[in-house]
Amino acid sequence: MNVHDDMNDTDLLTAARDRLSAMPLGSPPDVEAIMAGGRARRRRRLIPGMTGTLAVAAGAALAVTALTPASHQATRQPKPQPTVKLAAWSVTEKANGNITVIVRELADPDGLQSTLRADGVPANVTVLGHPDPSCRPYPMSQALFRSVYQADKTAASGDTVLVIDPSALPSGAGVQIGATVGPDAGGRGLHRADVNQAIHHAVHQPAHQARADNSVLRAVLVYASPQCTGG
Amino acid sequence: MSNEQSEFAEFFRASWEPCLRAVLTVVGHPQLAEDQVAEAFERAWASWRKVRRHPAPRAWVVRTALNAGASWWRRRSRELPLADHDLTAPGDLDHGLDSSLLTALRRLSPRQREVIALRIFLDLDTDTIARQLRIEAGTVRMHLSRGVMALRRELTATNNHGG
Repeated sequence: MNVHDDMNDTDLLTAARDRLSAMPLGSPPDVEAIMAGGRARRRRRLIPGMTGTLAVAAGAALAVTALTPASHQATRQPKPQPTVKLAAWSVTEKANGNITVIVRELADPDGLQSTLRADGVPANVTVLGHPDPSCRPYPMSQALFRSVYQADKTAASGDTVLVIDPSALPSGAGVQIGATVGPDAGGRGLHRADVNQAIHHAVHQPAHQARADNSVLRAVLVYASPQCTGG
Repeated sequence: MSNEQSEFAEFFRASWEPCLRAVLTVVGHPQLAEDQVAEAFERAWASWRKVRRHPAPRAWVVRTALNAGASWWRRRSRELPLADHDLTAPGDLDHGLDSSLLTALRRLSPRQREVIALRIFLDLDTDTIARQLRIEAGTVRMHLSRGVMALRRELTATNNHGG
């Protein structure tokens, strides 16, 4: 016999609500930032000919400036910033130092790279098919790979959540995230990688990196250098 | 601050948490839920003259947040995000969360989660949920009944498994 067996439907829903309500949530964003975002949406709606691509690009640009962790805002962004929200991707730093990257679309690889570097991660973000010649693959075991990267493929939304543990990076190593940006999207979104192209240009192909035909993101390690992963 | 701005600010402050919890119930990930709800509130402000007259403005926000997620999902349906699907979900993502309940919810259909979320966090009755989701009231009752049944089964199994 289980406690849930004795509950009627209303009791069960009430119990579920109470348990969900007990989960900690982050602080709500500043309403001024929300209204600023709403005004920007209204303006975009009113500008004839502005495309979705531009709107997404604007969202990605917002991410670079607005998605900095709260602990960084005092030094990098003195003004109150909009909430942790963007159209394409977001980067947040956890209390334990892990960096969480949520990728919906990689509309702005340079922006993602800059944000990761600003968060202290030696990072290089590339477009698959356009390898960065300044980067060299770092020898990588599966155990090392798993200690640096964790992934969460959220079942409901399909968004990719990549967690980077910078403290697990060996001295002299950096992260490299490769993605395929669909040419038909004007740099707007990730699309299915061309199999041969992705494999040919992969900086490093981990032994366990299966299903290359489905790859749109590839996370590997590279030797850190000012040219490849920034100063 | 104008009256309209004050009105929206009050709505935002009172509605952020229930809307976020409702969306979290459906999407199962706090960061994604926050992103989607923030976007929905931005849209609400962008269309405030319409939303403020809506019969259930919180439901409008939740539906907008979930539609934002769904549109991403539709666009990504031909895409798979990460090469290594064998990586396990990181524990810190669930830190402080009721993982057994979230796991149970994830196993419900999206529509079942949506109906349950609207019922328990926005306290909407069956007819209002039906109007918001643009489905029949009988369909709402069916999703609710099946969702509760599945939730009970999952929670019972989780409890038994966990001792």
